[in-house]
Amino acid sequence: MAEATVNAVPSEPRARYRKKNLRLWLSASWLVLVALIAILAPLLAPHNPLEQDLMLERLPPIGFSGYEAGYFLGTDSLGRDVLSRVMYGAQIALTVALVAATAACVFGSALGLLAGYFGGWVDRVVSRLIEIWMAFPPVLFSILLVAVLGAGLTSVILAIAIIDWTRFARVIRAETMVQARMDYVQSARIGGATRLGTLVGEVVPNVLPTIIALLSLEMGVAVIVEAILSFVNLSISSDSPTWGGMIAEGRATIHFAWWVLVVPLVVLFLTVLSFSQLGEGLKDQFDPLAR
Amino acid sequence: MSEPLFQVKDLHLSLPDMSRKKLFGPAPRIEILKGLTFDLPKGEIVGIVGESGSGKSTLGRVLVRLLWASSGQVLFRGQDIGRLPEDQIKPLRRDLQMIFQDPMSSLNPRHTIGHIVAAPIDRYGFRDSKKLALEALERVGLPGSFAQRYPHELSGGQRQRVGIARAIALNPAFILADEIVSGLDVSSQAQVLTLLQDLAADMNLTIAFISHDLSVIRTVCSQVIVLNHGEIVDAGPCEHVFNAPQSDITRTLIDAIPLPELDDNWLEQVALDDV
Amino acid sequence: MTSEQLNQPDDVRKPTLEVNGLNVALRGGPRLLRDVSLTVYPGEVRALVGESGAGKSMIGKAVLGVLPTSTQITSGKILLHGEDLGQSSPARRRQTVASAASLIPQDPLTALNPSRRIGVQITERLVKRLGWSRADADARALELLERVHIRDPQRVMVSYPHELSGGMRQRVLIAAAFAPRPKLIVADEPTTALDVTVQKQILRLIRELQAESGTAVLFVTHDMGVVAKISQTVTVLFAGKIVESALTRDVFANPQHPYTRALIGATPRYTHPDEPLKPVPPELITNLKREIALADMNGAAHV
Repeated sequence: MAEATVNAVPSEPRARYRKKNLRLWLSASWLVLVALIAILAPLLAPHNPLEQDLMLERLPPIGFSGYEAGYFLGTDSLGRDVLSRVMYGAQIALTVALVAATAACVFGSALGLLAGYFGGWVDRVVSRLIEIWMAFPPVLFSILLVAVLGAGLTSVILAIAIIDWTRFARVIRAETMVQARMDYVQSARIGGATRLGTLVGEVVPNVLPTIIALLSLEMGVAVIVEAILSFVNLSISSDSPTWGGMIAEGRATIHFAWWVLVVPLVVLFLTVLSFSQLGEGLKDQFDPLAR
Repeated sequence: MSEPLFQVKDLHLSLPDMSRKKLFGPAPRIEILKGLTFDLPKGEIVGIVGESGSGKSTLGRVLVRLLWASSGQVLFRGQDIGRLPEDQIKPLRRDLQMIFQDPMSSLNPRHTIGHIVAAPIDRYGFRDSKKLALEALERVGLPGSFAQRYPHELSGGQRQRVGIARAIALNPAFILADEIVSGLDVSSQAQVLTLLQDLAADMNLTIAFISHDLSVIRTVCSQVIVLNHGEIVDAGPCEHVFNAPQSDITRTLIDAIPLPELDDNWLEQVALDDV
Repeated sequence: MTSEQLNQPDDVRKPTLEVNGLNVALRGGPRLLRDVSLTVYPGEVRALVGESGAGKSMIGKAVLGVLPTSTQITSGKILLHGEDLGQSSPARRRQTVASAASLIPQDPLTALNPSRRIGVQITERLVKRLGWSRADADARALELLERVHIRDPQRVMVSYPHELSGGMRQRVLIAAAFAPRPKLIVADEPTTALDVTVQKQILRLIRELQAESGTAVLFVTHDMGVVAKISQTVTVLFAGKIVESALTRDVFANPQHPYTRALIGATPRYTHPDEPLKPVPPELITNLKREIALADMNGAAHV
């Protein structure tokens, strides 16, 4: 509103802008790397992740004495190559992340938008539903679901989506309520828009940055939940390597083969961190006001 | 003398008071408009003034049918639109436009200026929406290059002008101007008000001008309606109401305006009531 | 307060506030206040008027030490009640401000803590910062609540903000500002959000209380009408620079600077309905901006 004054607010001092961008680029790069590895695992992995060779058990990673050429990150107690297992583990992690998070996001956001925009009985019903749903302790609930549905990738994905949609619904509902009260929404109605048309054309674009940030965060959550489930052996039943499973196994050998635990742990940590930072970075990028 | 554009007869409006709602059963209702009767003559700018809580914004919203009347008649061109169903209101909306108070929240921050002005034109099925939008922008003194910009790139006064462009783009019969200059600096205020007056004359618009500022109303409006707690306490041509107010409320409102002139006794005139 | 009293030489009446060559800028950014100098005497009500972004609030915030963290004072002196705030340690500065100055904020809704009782919010500064006894502080709070025409001061003392109406809250804020017997009050657009009838009452209250106690007031506003009614002296600001500063009566009788004239002219008056509205001419603004930019470049050793 500074029509009459000389100084408009200056654009962000350069140092801050660089830091924000760095976060986005670093996290995006890591995730792209993980995605590429997941997709190309059969080509990139130096060894068969399931292949056991008891002669080569517990070999240390490169740079440590006892290292065996070709097993860059060492082997576990069954002689399986850690690097290859981590690579294949990425497949599981990312599949769960993408599918489960998107499912929770779509379902939860839709309900949140409807509840926040239409209010009235729609809001009452959805809010009650969310409250009841959230009363169940999530970890217990997911274990229960997987136990009932049987172990397997689909069950894990379903469990995450079924439990976590409420996270989206609540936040998006609140955000929608704020946007729906804005004058530009009323203006669209005066300009002849239908209620649904206004919701989609005016409100959704303003709620989208929040949805995207949450989606990315949720992907990180999905990865962790899968890791927890495979840690307690409730994830996929086959031999296929999962990061959580590797961590579980690595616990037993932590004193004399620390890499079996540490490698998947670090990869898990970096991936989840990247998802949350990506969400923040994308949200800022999408917001013309913050540009 | 042709028929007034709006004829309002005994308009009542009450809304549910959610803060006093018990668990079961409907919420008790608060009466916001308590039997209003007035006319809006064609081609005139009529001021609606009152303090906060007087119901002026609510009245405005009934006129453009963002709210339903609870009872009474709201005749627009002879047709009662007070409780008309939404699908029958839709074709009339083109003639019932509105300009909002807050230049920041009345423009969708994610849409370009061009999109904002063209959207209502599109929705009514006009094909040259882009051309009409640019014409509207020109009429309010904004060059065509603004069509590509986003609201946050404009100043408050410019955003209000976009709001005006959006309202006039469809050549409506009636515009509700709800406190459109309250959030602006005095220099932008004068620009926007002059623009509004010029457009009203050119396009023969009927305007309901809601404001809490009597000085602004006096400058822009030919008639004025004074509201207090949902009732009309004074109404008529501005000259009459200002020079010979019927109601004490009007008198108090007029006396409370700080004119940009020296007056040593001004402060003493007000009574300090206990609150 | 007559103009003769205001013109008395310094050794007779010490100024309550002296600001000399104050420059405030965004950190690593443009200047927000440009060489602002003003003097306020005890009992004087000085209006700081300008449009949004002119910097009128900044001056008050600089004096009170509550500038936003994105900004900083790049040069200049502030003397509050004779004490050079720039030379004092931060602790000493806070103490001086706490005992000598107060703020009446703009928004009565957000200025009070919703989870604490009114009485505590008024007396806290007196007890904790100024060493008053609890009994004295409570008595003072009650006295002031009565003075601002609150009907049941005892009840209000133990009430929470949400139990009071908006008008009552504004009066509580005024009482709180006068409680520590400050030498200077910064009123930051205290009536902008109020209905016009309430505004008149609040203006009268502020004027009465300050006249009684001899408190100086820096009254920040954008409304030339309010300036005419409440102030004895006025300082007009544009883009952080003072364009005119004089007795209110002189400024309205004969405004010197074209911007001042334009501001007065653009304010609508119901007594002159046939006068067309006079928007501030854009050339005036452009010229002013150019002047300021040039001055910045030439004198800009400070930034």
